[in-house]
Amino acid sequence: MSDPSFGIHGKILEIDLSAGYVRVRPLDPSLTADYLGGRGLATRLFYEAVDPASDPLGAENVVVLAPSPLIGTSAPTAARGHMVFKSPLTGFLGTSNSGGGWAWSFKATGYDALVVKGRASSPVWIDITPEKVDVLPAGRMWGKDIHALTDELTTGFEPAARPRVLGIGPAGENLVRFAAVANDRNRVYGRCGPGAVWGAKNLKAVRAAGRMKTRVHDKERYQSGYEQAMHLIRQAPVTKRLLREMGTAGLVELINVIGMLPGRNFQDCTHRDEDLEAVSGETIAKTILERAAGCYLCPIGCQRHTRVGGKGEQAEAGEGPEYETVVLMGPVCDIYDLEAITRANYRANELGLDTISFGSTVACAMELAERGLIPPAELAGLELRFGRAAVLERLAVETAFRRGAGALLADGSFRLAERYGRPDLSMSVKRLEIPAYDPRASFTQALGYMTSPSGACHLRGGYAVSLAFFGGWKEIPRFSLLQSPIAIRNMQNHGILQDSLGVCRFTGYAFGSEPWSRMLAGATGLDFSVARLEEISNRVAALERLFNLEAGAGKLDDALPPRFAETPIIVAGEERAVSVEIQERMRRDYYEVRGWDAEGRPRPDLLGRLRIAGRRP
Amino acid sequence: MSPRDWKADEDLLRLFQTIGRASLLCDIQDSHSGNMAVKVRNAAGVEEMAITATGSQKGDLDAGQICFLSAGGTDYGYYKASSETDIHQRVLALPGVRASMHAHTKDLTIVTLDDAPKPSPVPDFVPVDPLGRAYLGDHVHVDWFAVPSGSAEMADLIPRRLAGHPATIIQNHGTFARARTLGEAFFLLGVADASGRVVRQAQKLGVDVGALRGRIASDPAAHFPRLPGPYEIEDDGLCDFPEETELLAEFRKAGARIFESRLSPFHTGTMSVRGVRDILYAPKASLPREIGGPLRRLPMASAPSDSAELAVHKAIYAETDFQTVMHVWLPEAEAHSRFRYPGEEGESDKIVPLDAEGGFLYLVIPVLPAEAGEEEIIRNLFDYKIAVVRGGGVWAAGTQSLSEVLHHPSSLREICLYRLGAFERGLDLRKMEPKKAARW
Repeated sequence: MSDPSFGIHGKILEIDLSAGYVRVRPLDPSLTADYLGGRGLATRLFYEAVDPASDPLGAENVVVLAPSPLIGTSAPTAARGHMVFKSPLTGFLGTSNSGGGWAWSFKATGYDALVVKGRASSPVWIDITPEKVDVLPAGRMWGKDIHALTDELTTGFEPAARPRVLGIGPAGENLVRFAAVANDRNRVYGRCGPGAVWGAKNLKAVRAAGRMKTRVHDKERYQSGYEQAMHLIRQAPVTKRLLREMGTAGLVELINVIGMLPGRNFQDCTHRDEDLEAVSGETIAKTILERAAGCYLCPIGCQRHTRVGGKGEQAEAGEGPEYETVVLMGPVCDIYDLEAITRANYRANELGLDTISFGSTVACAMELAERGLIPPAELAGLELRFGRAAVLERLAVETAFRRGAGALLADGSFRLAERYGRPDLSMSVKRLEIPAYDPRASFTQALGYMTSPSGACHLRGGYAVSLAFFGGWKEIPRFSLLQSPIAIRNMQNHGILQDSLGVCRFTGYAFGSEPWSRMLAGATGLDFSVARLEEISNRVAALERLFNLEAGAGKLDDALPPRFAETPIIVAGEERAVSVEIQERMRRDYYEVRGWDAEGRPRPDLLGRLRIAGRRP
Repeated sequence: MSPRDWKADEDLLRLFQTIGRASLLCDIQDSHSGNMAVKVRNAAGVEEMAITATGSQKGDLDAGQICFLSAGGTDYGYYKASSETDIHQRVLALPGVRASMHAHTKDLTIVTLDDAPKPSPVPDFVPVDPLGRAYLGDHVHVDWFAVPSGSAEMADLIPRRLAGHPATIIQNHGTFARARTLGEAFFLLGVADASGRVVRQAQKLGVDVGALRGRIASDPAAHFPRLPGPYEIEDDGLCDFPEETELLAEFRKAGARIFESRLSPFHTGTMSVRGVRDILYAPKASLPREIGGPLRRLPMASAPSDSAELAVHKAIYAETDFQTVMHVWLPEAEAHSRFRYPGEEGESDKIVPLDAEGGFLYLVIPVLPAEAGEEEIIRNLFDYKIAVVRGGGVWAAGTQSLSEVLHHPSSLREICLYRLGAFERGLDLRKMEPKKAARW
């Protein structure tokens, strides 16, 4: 093993808010070798620290944040952090990733992971520098939105020394189960409700201001991977142009062309062209876009800095909307009003809401209301039905503060639909809302949603769409039952690698593991061959599964809502649904390629091979 | 027989048409060259010969350009048929032979040219590639004829040559092959031309082919430890997975590209997509669009009956998460595997791209020794996705699709061609290669 100070600092920062201690413990070098950093390391540290039966909103839940060995180098997009916790929305593994500069800044304070345990008796925030770590009262910040919080904690610093702030807004404070944690104002750890976990811990923010460098062991080896990666990013159409020019919302028209863009709470995938055009990436670029930008160290630049409302009193500026937000708050609610979507997006960013879960929960509520299942009196005077753009912004605010009709939405679509006797109307898997790609239009994507460790997430579950339509030479069939289980396993594994390296999913449009292997081996001096990276991904996947099993998940949780089996959509002239039989076959085959048994339990020989000691048989 | 009776049935016509078009695609014919002949049984149960008409365009044959020789009477068929009908007729009379074909295998023909005064004996062609060794043997006769087209001397000697060998070369003209089926004859001619291409490119790269032949002759097994198995003529129409319509289309696309881009001669190479318990496998990966080959669904578990190539596919899947595997016999790669940098000892163990595209896709492509085992191949596939085995073809693996795995040998061919072109121009490859490549 080479000098462990290359790529990492060798230190974990652990803070117990109940006990009030801050301690620094060494990072076992074998953890870097076996789990990298980011998602892998965070999952490993989380697994050893938390009781799977714990209440996600209780003091016993644990939050782990980890940058990666590549963060602090020049590796493209390598500034993303990963957060692992028990999700208050799903009850299973909460695993969420974000761009922005916080993870870079945190690593530069000299730590490779942050573990937060316990619960403070009153609101606190944490200030981390290379010299010291302080847990400070946050009473005056409680109630502030994320932008105001960020301003407060970054004012008075020179630009070069400006710290980065990771924090929650009112949604997190009010324990909204899909509340986000944000850094750089609008970069969010959105999925699975980490904001509620922070809120439950009375943790408002973590500020990091570091200057320590990440040392690179073999610059030439590192550089060979870097140059290859940069060349391919500048060459691939999606990374060199589409995302910069149109943002992720550039996908709106494309995903519609392939019959995969959902509408009306996933009741169908049909839209009028002129409606979609009104919310497309092209229209955003032509009408509300002020400038594009990128996350720290990102050469792709998909951020949308926008302005709505002209120059009058109603004018405001912010970020977004991105593809998922456009579709979930838009067509899935039968809304094609770009300004309404954008304003609701601004509120979600400020207040700290995951826009996917929020949009889908609104759509679920709209369907319940249209079916007469929600008594009007419970809607606090809100006229809720598909297509009502006017409700979006108001619902975002009310949800974050758990008031009015928003109080119904604040626990997510599954609990909402269950409350009114129709859990099948929640378009979720493991209670996490499905993103903006209809699973009936790709079996591979369907299987990804089913088997994602965090519930229906296109990023943790495998971004099959990216391969099926923009994969270039990796393009895969959409409806191959034979290929889907392995295709999605491989995509999930590549996602684990990216999350564990702290890099953006979009790099996958340009290249696979090989450049990362060289950059990582160059940075650390450790053996990170592609084979080794593959093994690491399999190890993390198995550990995530173990946790979910221990938290009570089973085979039946790896299933789509009945709508996707029972109600076909038309794709390229053919009726397509993901029948129960197809789901069963894909699930069975997926378990097998993962080395899990028929109930989805990692087999002992797999655990032995991957050197994982589970807590329970 | 009147011209009106002269109609090949649909299957026979299609066979001639498709082989004719395919032979143009792989550039072993000119617009009107070559000829094809098969034995067929007529309606009366009598065996007769069907042969292409003289001067016909093999890529655009119509039914009237397939001639049947009548046993008696005015032999309209004979007069319209190929000028080399006599040769084919005698070849088809050989035991077990049901098809013969002649093509202008240019790469092979060029490497057998000489400038010695004639008449004089011509040395045999000695293959230095695995396909040539496996299917043509350790030598192929090359004969000079005073009249090297349709002559009586040819009709006398060529059948005698083909009695002992599957193919024979006419200096300055091309190759004849005899086989059980027309498809097999075309296969042999494709292999023969590719074998010539390996030698031709090796010569261009400055390889001492004579010395190489000497080394191979002294220990052929060490140079070709894993030769491909016999060419099978059965089951070309077989498809075990018609329900996988999207994958079927992928196999056909990839197969056509392998053939048309000359990544592997007709009906050579293998490719597969893995399922959970089984693999979809094309044992004849190089497939022209109009000509099929077996597409098998096979159990993932290894079996004693597995061919050497299939065994490697299964081993790769057993040890890795790869979803697709391809093995091709790329002549350019085989030639490069013998390359020695001027002034340096030993054959190079890597191919370093000079072109921008190749360079960013692969810093280097490893060249493994002939004896490389599955483990070494797999290890290299992990790191490079593609590996050349000297005397053992090119292996590639993909994480997702057949298209992905196809891209590797396709890129490798271009990489080799750029290197070859630069070397031919007298450029110093070492100076052109990235310095860091020496370390990888």
